[in-house]
Amino acid sequence: MSKSKVALVAALTAVVATASLVVTAVGSAKQHDVFKAAWIYVGPHNDGGWSQAHDEGRLAVVKALGSKVETTYKENVPEGPQVSQVIDSLVKDGNKIIFATSFGYQDAVLAAAKKYPTVDFEMATGYKTATNMADYYGAGEDAIYLSGMAAGAATKSGVVGYVVPFAIPEVIRHTNAFALGVQATHPGATVKIVWTNSWFSPATEKKAAQSLKAAGADVIGQNVDSPSAGQYSESAGLPWVGYDSDAQKFAPKQWLTGAVYNWGVYYIPRVKAAMAGTWKTGSYYGSLSDGFTKLAPFGPLVSSATKAAIATKLAALKAGTFDEFAGPLYDQAGKLRVPAGKKLSLGDLMAIDWLVKGVQGSPKG
Amino acid sequence: MIRVERRLEQPRWLSLAVPIGSLVVAFVAMTIVLLVTGHDPFTTFRRLFDSAFLGSAELNATFVSATPLLFTGLCAAVAFRMQLFNIGGEGQLYVGAIFAAAAALLVSGVPTVVAIPVMIAMGALGGALFALIPAVLRAFFKTNEIIVSLMLNYVAALVLNYLIFDSLSYWRDTSSPEAKVFPQGKTLPDAASWPLSHIGGLELPFGLLLGLVIAGVVWVLYSRTRFGFEVQVIGDSPRAASYAGMRTRRKILAVMALSGAIAGIGGASQDGDVRHLLDARGLSAAGYGYAGIVVAALARYNPFAVALVAFLLGGIQNAGYTLQGADFPSGLVGVMQGLILFCALGGELLIRHRIRFERRRPAESVA
Amino acid sequence: MPAVSLHGITKRFPGVVANDGVEFEAAEGEVHALLGENGAGKSTLSNILTGLYRPDEGTVELYGERVEFDSPRDALDAGICMVHQHFRLVPPFTVAENVILGDHRGEGGRFLVNPRHIERRVAELGERYRIAVDPRARVWQLSLGEQQRVEILKALYREAKILILDEPTAVLTPQEAESLFVTLRAMADEGRTVIFISHKLHEVTAVADRVTVLRGGKTVATVGTADATPQSLASLMVGREVDVATRVPREMTIGDAVLELEGVGATGDRGAEALHDVSLTVRSGEIVAVAGVAGNGQRELAETITGMRPTTTGRIVVGGKALKGGDSREAIHAGIAHVPEDRLHTGVAPSLSIASNTVLKSYRGTHIARGPMLRLGAIKERALHLISSYDVRTSGPNVPARQLSGGNLQKVVLGREFSGEPRVLIAASPTRGLDVSAIETVHRYIREGATGGMGIILISEDLDEILALADRIVVMYEGRIVGELDAETATKDAMGLLMAGVTEPVA
Repeated sequence: MSKSKVALVAALTAVVATASLVVTAVGSAKQHDVFKAAWIYVGPHNDGGWSQAHDEGRLAVVKALGSKVETTYKENVPEGPQVSQVIDSLVKDGNKIIFATSFGYQDAVLAAAKKYPTVDFEMATGYKTATNMADYYGAGEDAIYLSGMAAGAATKSGVVGYVVPFAIPEVIRHTNAFALGVQATHPGATVKIVWTNSWFSPATEKKAAQSLKAAGADVIGQNVDSPSAGQYSESAGLPWVGYDSDAQKFAPKQWLTGAVYNWGVYYIPRVKAAMAGTWKTGSYYGSLSDGFTKLAPFGPLVSSATKAAIATKLAALKAGTFDEFAGPLYDQAGKLRVPAGKKLSLGDLMAIDWLVKGVQGSPKG
Repeated sequence: MIRVERRLEQPRWLSLAVPIGSLVVAFVAMTIVLLVTGHDPFTTFRRLFDSAFLGSAELNATFVSATPLLFTGLCAAVAFRMQLFNIGGEGQLYVGAIFAAAAALLVSGVPTVVAIPVMIAMGALGGALFALIPAVLRAFFKTNEIIVSLMLNYVAALVLNYLIFDSLSYWRDTSSPEAKVFPQGKTLPDAASWPLSHIGGLELPFGLLLGLVIAGVVWVLYSRTRFGFEVQVIGDSPRAASYAGMRTRRKILAVMALSGAIAGIGGASQDGDVRHLLDARGLSAAGYGYAGIVVAALARYNPFAVALVAFLLGGIQNAGYTLQGADFPSGLVGVMQGLILFCALGGELLIRHRIRFERRRPAESVA
Repeated sequence: MPAVSLHGITKRFPGVVANDGVEFEAAEGEVHALLGENGAGKSTLSNILTGLYRPDEGTVELYGERVEFDSPRDALDAGICMVHQHFRLVPPFTVAENVILGDHRGEGGRFLVNPRHIERRVAELGERYRIAVDPRARVWQLSLGEQQRVEILKALYREAKILILDEPTAVLTPQEAESLFVTLRAMADEGRTVIFISHKLHEVTAVADRVTVLRGGKTVATVGTADATPQSLASLMVGREVDVATRVPREMTIGDAVLELEGVGATGDRGAEALHDVSLTVRSGEIVAVAGVAGNGQRELAETITGMRPTTTGRIVVGGKALKGGDSREAIHAGIAHVPEDRLHTGVAPSLSIASNTVLKSYRGTHIARGPMLRLGAIKERALHLISSYDVRTSGPNVPARQLSGGNLQKVVLGREFSGEPRVLIAASPTRGLDVSAIETVHRYIREGATGGMGIILISEDLDEILALADRIVVMYEGRIVGELDAETATKDAMGLLMAGVTEPVA
């Protein structure tokens, strides 16, 4: 049997090779003259969260530039050796600007930037740059603070659950902003967190939400990418605060709001610049003011009083007259970390490793 | 009326005709799927081959994808030969990667010729030790090794996560700017980078060559040695083995250790060839161990066939990333990969069985 | 009009014509025996009749109507049931559940079944045909004889008109066999047709009305049993005159004790005591037969002596040296050869080649292995030698063992076991399922082994075989040796009583 198996596989290989030679010899499609742009997603393009928000940005580019640009994407690309290969094939297909939308792609993108100097690379949530590699992200924390206010107004028990992915500065920053928002509308409330150790893991996220409910939370919020905690909340009758994209359709009754990213705000000018040959590297940090981050439309449970309170804070954040990370800020142990009159700088926020008072859970994951 | 009968003899021409036939069937089926979903089959097929097996860059990427499958495929094949169903290649690969990364970090400063053998040895040791858990339970307490080894995969994944995300372990990088933004393993010293062999435009990872050597060793071991003879007898009939005075328990321990060691070297190869750090998230997302079971089954546990199947599957997997795009959903890619595998397995069935088409006669009245 | 009639049945397999124009007829109300050596085409013929195979040529008629079966279900629907040698029962299910299993037309075809109804019906059938089995018992709890009854009940429940039994007495005591014959007779008297496949000539003459003998895929003859003797049937089967397991005088030189069991005890697979205080001495040149109904500790005895099963009490001494026991390698090195009861799954590794099986025990030796490596050339040489000196009919040493016929397989096992020049041979049911000429060959080898100075234990349920071969006979009952008889003077009746556990002389 084993001999015939070897023969089988050998024959299979031979056939594949021959067939492909024939196919290649015959066909060779002509390259089009349109400008090509590509995106790489870590999850499905319609994940109802992070990758979907990026894909909406891509569609905004298509809408703005029409037939002058041809876009594509690669989805479910794991952070591993496949990334370089995916980039290779995108470059081979003639893409001139490539947006990599997961932090774990950073080193592969940096290597590709060196390998393909004529292609512009954009690295979301990264911090390494090169002459043809830029970084981009934004102050999600400001919008998250506002979404926390909605959660705080909705909690009766004073316990809000928050599903969080990894214990990294970005997530700790977001968690702090959320907790401060909750406490702004519900003084003394606690925020319980559960780590999932994954950006996108619907099953784990649902379990996390269940365990938070069991721990007394009557409102669920999240910093993870899938809407499954929301679907659970809808069925369990818990108000829910989403993240990344407008996910009201997953929980039409219980949806409060969510901090969302409007990546198109960044993508449209960058693709335009690349087309015009004026693209330059840089580190973009979007904000509420330029429309990069915003609050998704409210659900039916949010009262007009809450809406008004949130609108006031939004205006103040935009005007620069309010900063959620201004002192006095205490950590979980009650120690004063930021005295009154001071505030956390952007550098502090990028390296933050402590959680504010009222958050229950470890900042170490 | 269609009947499937076991073939009593397997004509030689079949072993050539059936693979060709099954590929033709696969392509016809794919053509239909593509036409129905509004894609140009011709362009699609061209991209499929281009991106897997043609061109040195594509072949190089296929080699990288095939390497871990070669190790986990051999891991499964070695154990399955003795009817020992080690499903734990996944976890054994993790543990091998953990051990090899520790070794590489510990011996930093030594030259590559020292670092690589140490990594291989430690990877093998880690995988073997981890595989010995189900082996001991099976040999001495008759515990089902399928369940134990499967469950240990989850344990290994949690340990891997713990080392990088939830603790300040020896493997975790706590100083570099990358690690401040996102937890990751310490970058291994340069000496721990496994070399690439260049043949023409092709770059063969060291792990791939090592895996091929191991495949050869396994073949010799299983077809030319007393050890292999005992494994064959135990796998075929445990009672005959006991009757012949074979030490079945020892063989269970040895085969599981060998199987785990091969997966563990696969983990070391991931550290040395590809990732250059203990990549907790990358390894657990890849699922090499489970894919290895498919590889072994398709190869019917023959070590050389494992190498070929790993290469084919690696190529098909890579082609998938190239094929998909805004106008080509990844689900459709999955359908095509599934069709190829389905037809390959169907062809295998046809070699061993034959299908007879018969007109169903009306059953004449039976008293 | 015959109930079953097969005309010109031909079935070819690659390289073999299994049935070559077979003619067969069985009447209503008849017990009809189908006799033939292994490979004569009996299985193929019954597989055609039960719809498993389709004939390449020829016709099948039931009660004068031509039928063509596309599947076993068609045959079942036509009222043909088969009781296989290896039962097709589901051990965790009850008797009643097994009876309706696969019966898609009656009770078993319903979504909800009424177990009480089935149990009552099964109990009724059991009473009527004197094969009563508790309908609620689980099959794994039953003895092999009882399991066979379940198979027959299955056929009766489905109102089978034609019942085929393949070697039904292989698992039965003589008394159980007798009662089976009564049942079969009763079924035939009701107008059913019973087709009975057997090797045991005296059974055939005892129970059947007529016998059809197959040889080499062809029908040799159909004769009435009134006109037949075991000798005449045997010569029809093999095509020449043979002696049917008759005693052959043997030059005996009984030497020293080579195997001594002293108060040996052992437990069975389920943990219960299987051997109790067994003491037995076998001397060089002697054949000691162990008689008994299957399941009275004979298998455990063979396994304990050969090291496959540990002893719980007592000791085993070979050539004056005590074994520590429970280690088949130790037993092999001590010179104990073993022809196991289950020759296909214990005696050989069935998927491995004849060559591999030739060295199943000697692969560690220096002739076969050099360090860790095997000398494939030496293995092949040894296999070719065995094939030629034991006349194994096969196309070569690379053929998987399972493709050999029972007789040829047993030759491979015997040849291998004798090659180690053993002191002791444990032969467990060495001729079960073999045809007459193969039995003859196996018996010859066993006699030659004894003449050559081996001490032999022959474990068998075939009393003819025991009487033909043994010098001494011990009888086992419930794990003990309950009696010893001199083979010259022993009778089947005397053995039968001991086998049934009756140790007191009957008044």
